[in-house]
Amino acid sequence: MSGRVARVVARVHQTWRRSLQVRVVTITLVASSLLVGGFAFLIADKITTILLDSARSDVRQRVTSGASYAAKQVSLYGQPQEAQLQETIDGTVNYLAGGDPQQTSGVVVAITADDYPTEIQTRTAPSANVQLLISPELRAAVADGKVASQIRTGRLTGKSTKYLVYGSPVPTSFGQIELYYLVPLTRQDVTAADARATVVATGVALVILLGLLAALVTRLVVNPVRVAARTAQRLSAGLLDQRMVVNGEDDLALLAASFNQMATNLQRQILRLEEMSRLQRRFTSDVSHELRTPLTTVRMAADLIFAERDEFDPAVARSAELLQAELDRFEELLTDLLEISRFDAGFAMLDSEPTDLVPVVHRVVDRLAGLAERVGVPIELDLPGAPVIAEVDPRRVERVLRNLVGNAVEHGEARPVLITLGVDETAVAITVRDRGVGLKAGEEKLVFNRFWRADPSRARQTGGTGLGLSISLEDARLHGGWLEAWGAPGQGAQFRLTLPARAGDRLTTSPLRLVPADAALPFGGPRDGGPLAIGPGTGGALAIGPAPTGDGQRAEVRS
Amino acid sequence: MRRPSLLGALGVMVLLGAGCGIPAVSDVRVDGKGGAVTGAGGFDVRRSEPPTRTAGGSDKEAFLRNFLSAAAGEPDRAYERVKAFVAPEDKPRLQDKKGSEVALNVVRLREAVYTLNSDSTTTVKITVQQIGVLRANGTLAPPVATETEYEFGLRGAALDGGTNDERAGFYILDPPNVLLLSDVALKQYYQEETIYFWSSDRSRLVPDQRYRPVAVPNERRVNEVVKWLVGGPSDWLRPGVVGLPDRTELINNATGANNRWEVNLDMSGDDQNSIDQLITQLAWSLGDLTGELELKIRNNSQPVQDLNERRNPQQLYPNAQSPQRFGVYDGAIHPLDFDGEPSGTVPLAPEANRNIISADLALARDQRVLAAMVVNGSSNGRYRLAVGTAVAPVSVISRSGTEYSSMSRPVWLRTADARAGRGLVVADGQLYRFDEAARMYPVPLNLPTSDVTAVAAALDGQRVALIAGGKLYVAVVNLDGGGVSIGPPRQLATSLTGLTAVDWGREDRLVVAGSARQQAIYEISVDGAVETPLRTDVGAKVNHLTAYPTNRVVRVPSGAYMYEANGVAYRSSPFERIEPDRVRDIAPVPAGVRPSNPSAPFFLY
Repeated sequence: MSGRVARVVARVHQTWRRSLQVRVVTITLVASSLLVGGFAFLIADKITTILLDSARSDVRQRVTSGASYAAKQVSLYGQPQEAQLQETIDGTVNYLAGGDPQQTSGVVVAITADDYPTEIQTRTAPSANVQLLISPELRAAVADGKVASQIRTGRLTGKSTKYLVYGSPVPTSFGQIELYYLVPLTRQDVTAADARATVVATGVALVILLGLLAALVTRLVVNPVRVAARTAQRLSAGLLDQRMVVNGEDDLALLAASFNQMATNLQRQILRLEEMSRLQRRFTSDVSHELRTPLTTVRMAADLIFAERDEFDPAVARSAELLQAELDRFEELLTDLLEISRFDAGFAMLDSEPTDLVPVVHRVVDRLAGLAERVGVPIELDLPGAPVIAEVDPRRVERVLRNLVGNAVEHGEARPVLITLGVDETAVAITVRDRGVGLKAGEEKLVFNRFWRADPSRARQTGGTGLGLSISLEDARLHGGWLEAWGAPGQGAQFRLTLPARAGDRLTTSPLRLVPADAALPFGGPRDGGPLAIGPGTGGALAIGPAPTGDGQRAEVRS
Repeated sequence: MRRPSLLGALGVMVLLGAGCGIPAVSDVRVDGKGGAVTGAGGFDVRRSEPPTRTAGGSDKEAFLRNFLSAAAGEPDRAYERVKAFVAPEDKPRLQDKKGSEVALNVVRLREAVYTLNSDSTTTVKITVQQIGVLRANGTLAPPVATETEYEFGLRGAALDGGTNDERAGFYILDPPNVLLLSDVALKQYYQEETIYFWSSDRSRLVPDQRYRPVAVPNERRVNEVVKWLVGGPSDWLRPGVVGLPDRTELINNATGANNRWEVNLDMSGDDQNSIDQLITQLAWSLGDLTGELELKIRNNSQPVQDLNERRNPQQLYPNAQSPQRFGVYDGAIHPLDFDGEPSGTVPLAPEANRNIISADLALARDQRVLAAMVVNGSSNGRYRLAVGTAVAPVSVISRSGTEYSSMSRPVWLRTADARAGRGLVVADGQLYRFDEAARMYPVPLNLPTSDVTAVAAALDGQRVALIAGGKLYVAVVNLDGGGVSIGPPRQLATSLTGLTAVDWGREDRLVVAGSARQQAIYEISVDGAVETPLRTDVGAKVNHLTAYPTNRVVRVPSGAYMYEANGVAYRSSPFERIEPDRVRDIAPVPAGVRPSNPSAPFFLY
């Protein structure tokens, strides 16, 4: 039950937040209800007051003249026990009630003598028991010599009716008797109810009308906005030729026209930029291709010269060697550029096949062993014993690894490079860890930019074209995998390649950590392998720090 | 998402529903002071209440007097008051009656005999004359009871366990099962009121006698009077007068203060003429009450009338001049002269003024003189009626066709309009009516005896007093349709016997001559309750009695009456014999001749 309520509340809340129209209509309804209700209350109250006041003054007049008549009638008697006094009271009551006991106006006239209960009996016309309707407070007020009135509800003749009970003392020569008029307020009640019903009906109609009006107006405003929102959504989804319908010349039409104008401009700009981008890529690709043919010729000539270098004098021979080396780099650069332009053009194709990654790692290490030996960097491997099979493109994976290991060796600072291969049910991961200078904060992303250099002053002497990591990142993306970097100054860097075990799967986790386990935590971090103490710190903050030593290797929870 | 608005609308409804309807119960709202209590200052009820049981102390006569007064007062509590005199164990014997059934037997106490018994009680035997029944509506009806004696016991109140205190008074044992009221108490604790009803031809107001307990405060006088009027006339007047329309009711009480009186009647028939007559009737019935009267007929106010202004143009009796005295001297009518009184000339032509035994002259509305005379017939001891009507002097005289061996003084029935005069005369023990042509028609009377001896007409012409068989009767006259009919006569209880002559001394008083122990002249109220001796030493039988009825229009001379006894005429106030020298226009009597006496004196008015 509460669940249903909660659901309803949530849905209501959602609707409230989402629909401007609902909000406007609701606010209009509530505000107008309060306003109209207030006015209706005032009017109905006023009508009732007027009705009651007129009834009061009417009855008061009657009771005053009735009391003076009764006083005259009773003034003939000097003692309450005179026999004709009771008759006189009977006659007076009947006379004041209109003389005809069958009269239908419902007015009841009563004379009581609270001071002489034994001598004088209460008389009413028409005959009715009025004792219940005349309250003790009214009785007391009248007995005190006051003309007083009260509204009471009671049953005199059949059904329960509201009565205006008006009492007046009647002075006599022997004391005081009391005259009461009980006038039914049926007519006033019905009139008041009628007026109330009319006012309420009018008010409700007004509120409903205002609500409808608000709904209509909001709808007029909100609908174009909705259309604009939908159109904007479509535009952002790439449907650049979506436009709004322009109706009339009002503000909303202006909005639609402006929107359309904006969309048109955006479309033109986007198309222009696309075209430019396309031209740029094409240019790169074309330049690369066009350079390859002369380069091949130059290469062949250079190879010839290089082969004959022993026959030249040493300075020329040295130039031939330099030429050969730079040509290698040039060729490499062209290859990378072509690869990049292939990615940019979207022509890169993944050629996935189930591959054991362990041989791939070995192959890469073997090929870079020479370089590693030359710079004095030992390469350590942490590979599982079993084959690690994943559905990948082995050529691209190998290129990525070559790139990463090459970078690590290059920046290894003669410290070992660790290659780790991890696997779980959904993914495989390879991390390459070096212990060189490391990366500064923020450089983890920059390293993947094209032609990015950690130290721009450093000459590009060793290998790399500056495109390797970019191509690697594209390769990883092509697999639906991740290529991430971690580094800290002085602690070296670690790159992690995570690939789905099956092609096309979506990655959620990686089997290996990006941040190596031996990396120092920020702010000092806890003592290695020591327990952490979590407790109240200064200024009400929660403090986390190394637990005090000396009391053994045990965790303690204190509150 | 419509929820907030829905809630808002709901809130508004609730607000409207609860906030601005007529509340089911409100607080008491005080509008200010009501009228103040006037205080009981104006009412001194005890003053006029009859004395209580213990007021007489140990005096048995006083106790009996008080017992015979106890019922006086408001009829509602008459039984309560009387029962206070009755011993507790005997109270159930006196059965209560309520409302209009309460009737007081008014008696004239003749004698009370107290006999001491061995058980220290006293047996009281009273001898009474039943005068009438005083009903709740204030009328004194002819007596119903025929008892002339009542017997009951007396015992000291202190005997039932208390101290033997003289002031404890007595208790009545074995009380009579009626309420008794002595005529003395009636006089003392009741106020006589005269109310008026229109005669059946609606031409004049006829007085009706009522008794109002003096215990009833003056504030209620108007109320009582209006109630009497609504209740209709006394029974004996009914044939000749009309009450208010049937089903007329007084709506609540007639109220008033500060000389402004309000009467609200539920009355059918609302033509202005009858309402006007009703206001006149009310104005006169309220006696000398001053102030303004607001009459409402079914809550419709009539124009406010000042009572005095209403009474002044609507005189009860049209001829308001002082009376002139005349007498018969040597068979002719002559004026009688007295100091300080007006005297006129004989309104008869000399040729008509002959052979007259007795006469009645009346002034009619149109200045004519109505003359009716008993004249000598063809032979001695035979009489005829002679009638002449004309503007004075009357010269044309009609005579009745028949002669009678006896004939009383004729009387004219006075009318308020100019109708032909009609009169009544008793001849040979039979009542006759006569017209202006002296035609005589016997008038049937519903009387046990046919021996009518005298007739007298009241000033209003609607009531007559008769003497038949030595007893006194009053009856109403109905002049409808040109004839004269007499309603059922009502006998009046008097202590006189052998009545011989009667005339109206006031609106509600008769002057009668009869025999107490000796010949006497009494004034008797028209219901017989009040009896005042005027002269108790008349000596001879009165055979002729006339009075000038004082009334509320002409107040002088009060109580004037003249009579003839044993051939000698007397007058009252001052009482004296009417000497021959009072007779005007007579030839001087030769010396040595005993002058004739004036006889059959009468008033012309």
